[in-house]
Amino acid sequence: MLATLLSATLLGLEGRVIRVEVDVAPGLPGVTIVGLPDAALQEARERVRGALRNAGFHHPPRRIAVNLAPADLRKTGASLDLAIAIGILLGSEQIRPGTLRPAFVGELSLGGEVRHVPGILPMVAALARRGVRRVVVPAEGVDEARLERGVDVLAVGTIADAVEAIRSTRSRRVFVAAQRVELGIATAGSAAGRAVEPDPPPRVPDLADVRGQLEARRALEIALAGGHGLILIGPPGSGKTLLARTIPGLLPPLDDGQALAATVVASASGGPPIRELVRRAPFRAPHHTISYAAMVGGGPRMSPGEVTLADHGVLFLDELAEFGRDVLEALREPLEEGRVAIARVGRATTFPARFQLVAAMNPCPCGLAGVDGARCTCGTNIPERYLARISGPLRDRIDLWVLMPRVPPAALVGAAQPERSAVVADRIAAARMRQLARPPGRLNGRVSGRFLRAACRLSAAAERRAVELAEIERLSGRGTERLLRVARTIADLAHAVEVETDHLEEAARFRSAVSGLEQRLAS
Amino acid sequence: MTLGIGRAGPLGPTRFATTVSHAPGRSRPVSGSGIADGEREALAVLVSVDGVGPATLGRLLRNVGGAGDVLEVARRPDGDRLLIESSREPLGDDRLSPPSLTHRAAGTLVDAARSADAIVAGIHAAGLEILTIHDADYPPRLRWIDLPPHVLFVRGDRGALSHARAVAVVGTRRPTEYGRRIAARLATALSRTDATVVSGLAVGIDGAAHAAVIVHRDLAPEDGPTVAVLGGGHGRLFPRAHGRLADRIVDTGGALVSEFAPTTAPSRGTFPRRNRIISGLSEATIVVEARVRSGALITAAWALQQGRACYLVPGRIDDPSSSGCLEFLREAGGEARIVASLELLLEDLGLATGPDGDASSDGLAPLVELGETAEMVGARLLRGLTTVDELVASTGLAVASVLAALTMLESRGLVVGAYGRFRPAGRLAGSEPARPNVR
Repeated sequence: MLATLLSATLLGLEGRVIRVEVDVAPGLPGVTIVGLPDAALQEARERVRGALRNAGFHHPPRRIAVNLAPADLRKTGASLDLAIAIGILLGSEQIRPGTLRPAFVGELSLGGEVRHVPGILPMVAALARRGVRRVVVPAEGVDEARLERGVDVLAVGTIADAVEAIRSTRSRRVFVAAQRVELGIATAGSAAGRAVEPDPPPRVPDLADVRGQLEARRALEIALAGGHGLILIGPPGSGKTLLARTIPGLLPPLDDGQALAATVVASASGGPPIRELVRRAPFRAPHHTISYAAMVGGGPRMSPGEVTLADHGVLFLDELAEFGRDVLEALREPLEEGRVAIARVGRATTFPARFQLVAAMNPCPCGLAGVDGARCTCGTNIPERYLARISGPLRDRIDLWVLMPRVPPAALVGAAQPERSAVVADRIAAARMRQLARPPGRLNGRVSGRFLRAACRLSAAAERRAVELAEIERLSGRGTERLLRVARTIADLAHAVEVETDHLEEAARFRSAVSGLEQRLAS
Repeated sequence: MTLGIGRAGPLGPTRFATTVSHAPGRSRPVSGSGIADGEREALAVLVSVDGVGPATLGRLLRNVGGAGDVLEVARRPDGDRLLIESSREPLGDDRLSPPSLTHRAAGTLVDAARSADAIVAGIHAAGLEILTIHDADYPPRLRWIDLPPHVLFVRGDRGALSHARAVAVVGTRRPTEYGRRIAARLATALSRTDATVVSGLAVGIDGAAHAAVIVHRDLAPEDGPTVAVLGGGHGRLFPRAHGRLADRIVDTGGALVSEFAPTTAPSRGTFPRRNRIISGLSEATIVVEARVRSGALITAAWALQQGRACYLVPGRIDDPSSSGCLEFLREAGGEARIVASLELLLEDLGLATGPDGDASSDGLAPLVELGETAEMVGARLLRGLTTVDELVASTGLAVASVLAALTMLESRGLVVGAYGRFRPAGRLAGSEPARPNVR
């Protein structure tokens, strides 16, 4: 007999609805799965057989054909296990379908437990778009599934629970309705009645722990306030990494739309089960040995890469010059477009990647160039070449450049108590509000051209100064735009309506070190 | 012994010239009469040949005639053999010296003679002027050295090479912060007295000296320009990172000059050879910082050998960056002199101070018009503070104000920054922090 059920798999960040057809017919015993399954899915045969047997059901010794439609879509992962098992039970008439006809998502263990799979949220969302009203999900994924409106969710711990669910004809009550996601208030509570602990906040250093480096602190504040690309260049021990590690404590929480997007990414990337909307802006700091695919995404399952995991947050690249050249070049498209397109044979997808780039690097391979009292052991020209590893197009997308000297001991011991992260975070949040309230409703770092000129009203004196600075620095069109963008953010931090001369002067401090690099190094 | 220039300096392995040897007749300045364009271009072709230095070229010209004639000979079927023979010189007793032209160089010369037009076209296409020793505006000081280059390729204002006063400022490629500051201050002060500042475009002291003059010239175009003598051809500018610096030198009325053909790559041998031109273009050479065996000391040795003044900035005896200077002073104590202070140096050189009075007296004058914060920041920089942290701590100003003030000072050429440190430049560098009069 033929049984047909709906399930879903994950492709990239999107769920794909899969129709699972199971035919149990007389013939040589065996299970055949057709419809471009991958290795994990082929092994579903064994998982399903074990799960059924150990859960007290019967694995019929008949010819079982499982077809996964649409047939031309390559299916991956174990999220179809549960649907296949239920299909076999229906096809062999061990159970009868009820009236609710839910969709099933989940992996099976040999003992018959239903296990969590990555991407519950996007898969449930895809099923909802298809008109499915009820979904059976693993117990751990219930909070995540309930984030999708308009779908009733049943959490099951074992295959027996699932059978119970579809056999019942009337127990609509076993399904729980979608969370009243009052976006803006993190909702808690789970169907299983477990107390939900919020994820412990990652250990983030406070800005008060960072001594000295006032120029770099200021640059960081401006960069985060305006969503600008930032690079910190300084010798080892100057505090670049520590400063960057304070970023999570400085970023404002995500708004509703961003939080939903971030939750989908977190779900699809297969981390721990999600209890609530992800409100914390992501901060990703991949190591410099990262591969191309890990950075942009891809692989057999079209998994999202670091640029996507950092969507709406910060991508911090420590030791920027040590990253592979192709890895760095791959950042150009996402920095420009806010998304990254991945094409593989027969498949193509686009991931969001609206991250903000913060980078750090040494001034030269030995790290000691420009340190007074230390000797740089690099040969002639080596420091210049080291900086030149950051290609022109990438440089163009970094608005703020800071050359950090080593902090003198006096500043480490004697100076005044530095500001705490909370104080700076408030200023950043206020500046961001000002920017978002003004057309085009984006952070300055992502505004360009016409909108930028409209947003950057200059006072008369500032206009003259802007022209002067552009001439002195021999700024290109792009360079001038960068200057204005940063000046606009500085004005926003100062609650100023117009950009004043002082804002421009300060912005010019952070211009591309490379544009004047030769002279800076020379003189 | 071949009469060449060698890579160890004017006196070969003997590192420091303590006696100036001017063998009579050896350096006979060529008269500066006019020269036909064809002959000038022919000379340019000849110096483009790898393996033909000033010495060999001199022999060929003496034995064959003009440069055009040498090319004529090279185009003959047995040209290479004739050229090699022509590179012998009489030794006095009817015998001839061995030829100085190698077979390989002769072959190259023959090839060059056949493609002479292309070589000349390449030089013109690169925007270079050919200045030969026969030209009236060949730099007069250079004419008087041993083995002056027959041809100079010039980009920029050739007049800068023949300025009435010219002083070289050279030093190590890895200076200390102090060295950079002194180089910038020396160069600015020299430019203010309308002297040309000659250097080698290298990173470090050379770059600091060039850059200081450039920022100063932006504001005071009537003051002395800067000239960079390249260690390779114009087309192979080295270091490449100084491309923009080189452009700025030309923009601000200075010049880039090389005795090498545009396509010549810089190599180990070209730099010492170039150094004789740095000292030769200048009436005095100042070494700011040099380690032991620094190329800057070769320039200093050339200066003494050429009968020019040579000054070294003394340093602490335990500072490796100054060890070469101190050793040179010890060896050449009678002739090399020390730089005791900016004013005393200018006095020793007989250079008048600028029109607006003593360089040391106007202190913070350039800052007054720029407003209070700029003045506060500038005063701190003159006192030797370098980082933003120090400036904020000392002035009590907001970080944003200090950063804005630094930009303002920098855009007016009064401050330069490197690796997050800042120091006075331009007129600010030429002035002393409030300090008692040394005299």
